[in-house]
Amino acid sequence: MMSDKMKKDPRLPDETFEPFEETRRIPLPVYWIAIALAIWGVFMLVETSHSTQVADKARAQLDKQEQTKTAQVSAPDPAAGKALFSDNCATCHGDAGEGVAGAFPPLHGSDVVKLGGAQAVTEIVMRGIGGPLNVNGESYDGEMPAFGSVLSDKEISEIASYVATGLNDGTKTISASEVADIRKVSGDMDPWNGGAELAGLINGLPAQPDAKTPAAKGPDAKLVAQLVNEGTDTVWSCASCHGEKGEGLETVPRLAGLPAAYLVKQLHDFQKGARFNDSMAYVAKGLSDREIIDLANYYAGMSSPSGATPSLQGDLKRGAQLAKEGDWSIGVPACFTCHGPSGIGVAPEFPGIAAQQPSYVAHQLAMWAGGARHNSPLGLMAGISKALSDADRRSVADYLASLPPVPGSKPADMVAMTTSASAAKESSNDQ
Amino acid sequence: MNRYLPLAITALAILAMATLFLVIAPGMQIGAQGPSPGLNPYTEAEARGRDVYVSMGCLYCHSQQPRSIAQAPDAERGWGRASVAGDYAYDNPHQLGTMRTGPDLMDIGDRLPSQGWQLTHLYQPRAISSWSIMPAYPYLFEHKDKADPGDVVVKLPPAYAPKTGVIVAKQDALDLVTYLQGMKRQYAPPADGLRDDGYALIAAEQQKQTDAAKASN
Repeated sequence: MMSDKMKKDPRLPDETFEPFEETRRIPLPVYWIAIALAIWGVFMLVETSHSTQVADKARAQLDKQEQTKTAQVSAPDPAAGKALFSDNCATCHGDAGEGVAGAFPPLHGSDVVKLGGAQAVTEIVMRGIGGPLNVNGESYDGEMPAFGSVLSDKEISEIASYVATGLNDGTKTISASEVADIRKVSGDMDPWNGGAELAGLINGLPAQPDAKTPAAKGPDAKLVAQLVNEGTDTVWSCASCHGEKGEGLETVPRLAGLPAAYLVKQLHDFQKGARFNDSMAYVAKGLSDREIIDLANYYAGMSSPSGATPSLQGDLKRGAQLAKEGDWSIGVPACFTCHGPSGIGVAPEFPGIAAQQPSYVAHQLAMWAGGARHNSPLGLMAGISKALSDADRRSVADYLASLPPVPGSKPADMVAMTTSASAAKESSNDQ
Repeated sequence: MNRYLPLAITALAILAMATLFLVIAPGMQIGAQGPSPGLNPYTEAEARGRDVYVSMGCLYCHSQQPRSIAQAPDAERGWGRASVAGDYAYDNPHQLGTMRTGPDLMDIGDRLPSQGWQLTHLYQPRAISSWSIMPAYPYLFEHKDKADPGDVVVKLPPAYAPKTGVIVAKQDALDLVTYLQGMKRQYAPPADGLRDDGYALIAAEQQKQTDAAKASN
């Protein structure tokens, strides 16, 4: 039996047969596709490496600009000085430095510039100046912001040299390294206190009015300092986020120089929930009305250097256009119409926006556009913010960050206990 | 299937090539970068705080990699500029993370530098934001009758403060906050930072070229 089974039946297929495929040539189209893919790959490699080269070049150029900004080059360039003057000074002092009678002193043919030369101009540009001042026998009483924190040594040297030799018939320019020396000494100092203090700098300056004595620190100064630097048992200190000089960072806003009444209103809005920010609502709820007013006055009177730098890759030209002229094609008025020339703010309702942190500005504009912030007078900011594109928001925020900081306000603009307490009552009735 | 050798060699070659181009080459490229200028090594307290951060698994909810402007509005959120390879030079292992259940923490030291805020928030996030889903970390703190000299007392609203005594931060909490306060990436990134700029820079360059062409016409 066994042998029968083992025996192969020729009619049946061979069971030990192993199937196999004979080698066949790969069809030609497959080769074509492979070759085409390879060529495409090489092409893309070259193409993308070209685009990174472009990006590298652009970045190297940015770095170079940064370097030339800080480079200590000797001779100031008069053409650059003129351009910087029209960008930074002409808004107030006029294109030819003619000034505005009664408001902004002239720089062309000014006795201060003639006697003090580029050196004195540098000192004033670096620190700013406020209070009563006589120029060519006319008296002025304004506030000029300090440009030390937003202009480089080279830029200041070019502006000062242009004012001394281009607008006036002086012959002596100032070099960037001399500006650097002045910055070392007076870069961090408060603004010049009117003509009286300036008389100490410039020999032979005609008689100057007496300087205003700074308001005596009230009995609460110690309590305010405690709040600012250490906080209370329940509330964190202001400075721990807003910085020792109230300059802010990222989405933490700059507080120094904002109108006191504005600060009081914002803190009350945080308390009532009319403005959303969990951390600030927590803080505001932990403060008494008295403390709010004291803190608002403290920050309103503070002059501090700019802590902001453009960091959102915004288009500064577009930002300048929006801030100075607006864009009526999208129905946006100039920022400076309400927020004051150069964004220094108009007390009591419109806060200064110059030298404000760019992330904060862009963030707030986005919040207004989305409706998360809705506490501006007449709902103005909502309409404006909705019209701005994402790129516009970043551009204007970056431009504002490049401006010199708002000087601290005068005692007259401070909020008194009685007036703001009644104002707070009024606004709480509105709700 | 009777030619195993060529098959094995081809498979290994493909694997080796992938490893070379996706692991070894980028590793050499990034390794040659070194730390970004402006980035400081961790202090001892910061390094201890980083260990706490790693051990508590913060990266399961918090990333440490802000995106560029072209990709996400991270800069407008205050999360800082897009990070580059050199920013992680002292991180081993890095804590990049992929989840953003909470906000990115790469630049938290600039955005929220307050020690007081961080301690309150770690003890009870709901004390600040009622809607927060972040866990509280009470075991990083201690309930004492009275603060000893040198103790850091946590500031708490009445609703979350203990009836008697005070809440004091343990060393782990202080170290963790020191680490978070040190997370500052405000310095400018290196020019060759191996950074993905999206198309923003290229577009800006092309715009400049067209502007220049227009001006010369």
